Amino acid sequence: MNLCLATSFKLFILVIFINLSVLAIIDFAYAVEPEEFLKDPKQELRARNISKNVRCLVCQNESIDESSAPLAQDLRIIIRSKIKEGRTNKEIYKFLTDRYGDFVLLKPALKRNTIVLWIFPFVLLLLSLFLIYLHNKNSNKRLDDSS
Amino acid sequence: MQKNLFIFPLIIFFCIILVFSYFLIIKRDPSELPSALINKKAPIFKTTSLFDEKPILAKEIFGQETIIVNFFATWCIPCRAEHSFIEKLSKDKNIKVIGINYKDDSQKTIAWLKELGNPYTVIAVDMNGSIGLDWGVYGLPETFIVNKNSVITYKQVGPLTKKIYSKFYQKVQESYK
Repeated sequence: MNLCLATSFKLFILVIFINLSVLAIIDFAYAVEPEEFLKDPKQELRARNISKNVRCLVCQNESIDESSAPLAQDLRIIIRSKIKEGRTNKEIYKFLTDRYGDFVLLKPALKRNTIVLWIFPFVLLLLSLFLIYLHNKNSNKRLDDSS
Repeated sequence: MQKNLFIFPLIIFFCIILVFSYFLIIKRDPSELPSALINKKAPIFKTTSLFDEKPILAKEIFGQETIIVNFFATWCIPCRAEHSFIEKLSKDKNIKVIGINYKDDSQKTIAWLKELGNPYTVIAVDMNGSIGLDWGVYGLPETFIVNKNSVITYKQVGPLTKKIYSKFYQKVQESYK
């Protein structure tokens, strides 16, 4: 009986695991409406890639590519119309940040006021490597002393 | 040396705790975003008036006195809630309140204003939301203070309430300078 329970529990965990992995693999969470698509697949791909980097200001932690908020749709349409006009990606991002600030970009731009944000993880990494090195050196020394 | 190694992560840990608790303690609304347009010229627009469909040019409105620009819509419930405060603002002789009717039905808006009263000197129609886009609007209602040099000095996201009205009015008065 216990064995049976254990097996079914394992099976249950396995099913959940498979479900989660499938969810992680499938990129289904985009909200682009069919009528928004551009005819040129290359341009459409560009629009999708830009949309993935632009924050939906209504939902805040979703990109406009995933959000079905009306504002996100407006922004997707405007990005596509700018691409059709032949604007570069840089011009399109500038158009958006001029209106909504740097917050509209999901990845913060490397600027003077964000430099700490970008550099700090590397500083911490170096610092911790240094600390580990010191720690090892000391314990090796103690081992040597005791032997 | 060994002792220092033990203390160091603890210090970092407490620093992180301090930073987090600071952001928890200060009263800050995370949905309120800094506007990219503060201290910039008010974006220009060209549209029609709600009542008579006559053309409206932004450059004819801005640049003479302090203007309050209120983005509103009849489908926006908080807009109804803040309406009495917009009326209160419009009583001030030194300022002009203009409304921008965002993605709305004109007939519904006229009926809505008949019911609640019309505090706006001018109402511009923004049928497809393009004016809103240029002004960085992301959630209604939004109210901007534009000084007599056509520069945006303040932006209020969300409805004016009893609690914030005096603070907002103070910002209006500061814009006279």
